[in-house]
Amino acid sequence: MRLLSKISYYHFWLSAVVLGITGCMLFLFLRNEISKEIQKQLELQTDMVAQEIHMGRTVNFPLINITKGSDSLMKLPKIFKDTMIYDRLQKVTEGYYYFSESKKINSQHYRIMVMTTYIGWDNYSKSIIYIFLSIAGLLIVLGTLVNYFISRRIWKPFLINLKRIKAYSVSSKEELQLTLTDVTEFKELNNVLIDLAARDKREYNALKEFTENASHEIQTPLSILKTRLESISQQPLTVDIARLLNDAKQATIRLSKVNKGLLLLAKLENNAFTDVQWVSIEAVLKRNFDLVEDLFQHKRLHVEKHIQSKVVFASQFLMEILISNLLTNALSYTPSGARIIFSLSEQLLVISNEGEPLSFPESKLFTRFGKGATDNKGNGLGLSIAKQICTLNKWQLSYSYEKHMHHFSIHF
Amino acid sequence: MKVLFVEDEPVLLEEMETYFSSHDCICEQAVTFVQAEQKLRDYTYDVVVLDITLPDGSGIDLIEDIRKSHLETGILILSAKDSLQDKLNGLNLGADDYLTKPFYLEELNARVNAIYRRKTLKGVEQITFDDFTMHPSSKSFFFKESEVSLTRKEYDMLIYFVINKNRVVSKASIVEHLWGDHFDQSDNFDTVYVHMKNLRKKLCNISGKDYIKTVYGMGYKFTY
Repeated sequence: MRLLSKISYYHFWLSAVVLGITGCMLFLFLRNEISKEIQKQLELQTDMVAQEIHMGRTVNFPLINITKGSDSLMKLPKIFKDTMIYDRLQKVTEGYYYFSESKKINSQHYRIMVMTTYIGWDNYSKSIIYIFLSIAGLLIVLGTLVNYFISRRIWKPFLINLKRIKAYSVSSKEELQLTLTDVTEFKELNNVLIDLAARDKREYNALKEFTENASHEIQTPLSILKTRLESISQQPLTVDIARLLNDAKQATIRLSKVNKGLLLLAKLENNAFTDVQWVSIEAVLKRNFDLVEDLFQHKRLHVEKHIQSKVVFASQFLMEILISNLLTNALSYTPSGARIIFSLSEQLLVISNEGEPLSFPESKLFTRFGKGATDNKGNGLGLSIAKQICTLNKWQLSYSYEKHMHHFSIHF
Repeated sequence: MKVLFVEDEPVLLEEMETYFSSHDCICEQAVTFVQAEQKLRDYTYDVVVLDITLPDGSGIDLIEDIRKSHLETGILILSAKDSLQDKLNGLNLGADDYLTKPFYLEELNARVNAIYRRKTLKGVEQITFDDFTMHPSSKSFFFKESEVSLTRKEYDMLIYFVINKNRVVSKASIVEHLWGDHFDQSDNFDTVYVHMKNLRKKLCNISGKDYIKTVYGMGYKFTY
């Protein structure tokens, strides 16, 4: 929920509760006051009727009832109550107040009752509800509008900075630049963020340096191993020693591949590739396929191609790695004589190859060393690198198994 | 061919020097940036093999110096970093090729020779053995006067063998040379064998001589 909506939401409920309570209070106070006034008016009226009787005039008025009686009347209390009277004209029963009092006038005992109408309480309550509802509506609408304009002003630097932080990468050469603001909290936030970015950058650079140093430190001894082993190969060797030597050579090759792969992954995660340009996937595919066509032929693989032209804005270097990794994967895991299909369109690159279903969970396909070290094919990093390259370019690399074929698809 | 090796690792230096000397190269070495600077000032080399990480400086900084004074000198960067930025920088500054450690001496030899042919000999050089002649620039191959047809992979393999003659060349190194870094897998040893067999048969049919020997478990050796 956006901050603005959240504030408006609480604002709404607050207004509703406050207005509800004050509305009820207003209604009750008003009724109480008016009842008191009516009672006073009726008492006065009773008094005036008594005055008339005292003067010897006959009082005859529709809403006044006078009863003559014995002194037992004097024991009855004063009564102020409401009652219902049928209104002939409006044809509805309406609420009335009546007031009764016993009086002794000229040694006669009288019971005087006067009545007056309620003055339409229903309408009062309706009016009050309407007025309060419109106050609530206005408060919400105007409140939201005010909030909106305030947020446009006060939140603007915050939103701009948010955008900048989103776009910021520790691997970029520029420092994090944030817009100034006069809100204390935002100022503090900016300072914290700038500190954080600087610290991240330092740590990133240290890590990068470490990775490169580690790589250097590993690659140089590996070079020595490799060249020395090749030099030993030049000597006349017995079959046994040749076997031992070969194992050692294979191991150094694997080690150097894993090292290179891990380094590449580290760089991919840090997005260290800046050689972006327009790259024709079709050309990369063709070049890599031409390079290994003899390997496909040697395995008697039936290759079908449905290729359209497709250009992407990406690192040339990474595109070569992406395509060659997918090709190597298809080449390694397709049984001899089976079918491989390459199809490239504007939205999709699919490399499909025949083969038995995976012998391990599909979820491990794109993880590092996911398939376990059960075979010696590949270094266990190829597909994970391919996935990472796709992620970096915001493409989707997915896998499916249908009709006895493995499908690797890239959605551009 | 006169080659300068700028490298701070003594074992690698020794290996490179031993190998290149056995292939009729005049080799010189420099183990520090300062030493390399001095040698480059005093002498002219056909090719400089340059390690980027030196104890007292970056090999990258030497490239500009070399380019200023010796336009013809070929430069091959040798780096343990495998960093794309280093590679791009190096090539932009005028290096001719880039090789990442760990490497095969045979591959280094093939690359240095290719640079030498391209730069110093301006691509007119031919590689000859017995009555055979190879023209790397046009990728053509002759026995005496008649052209012999080879597939692209056979041609690449033959050059690799000839440049690294009298040396046991491992299958893994051939795989890396023929298919590059990304495709070298032990799976492909069979394909190397097929190409080698076809090449050997073609050479043998024409000249009656078997140039390629299989060294059990190790690889192949080309001799003439």
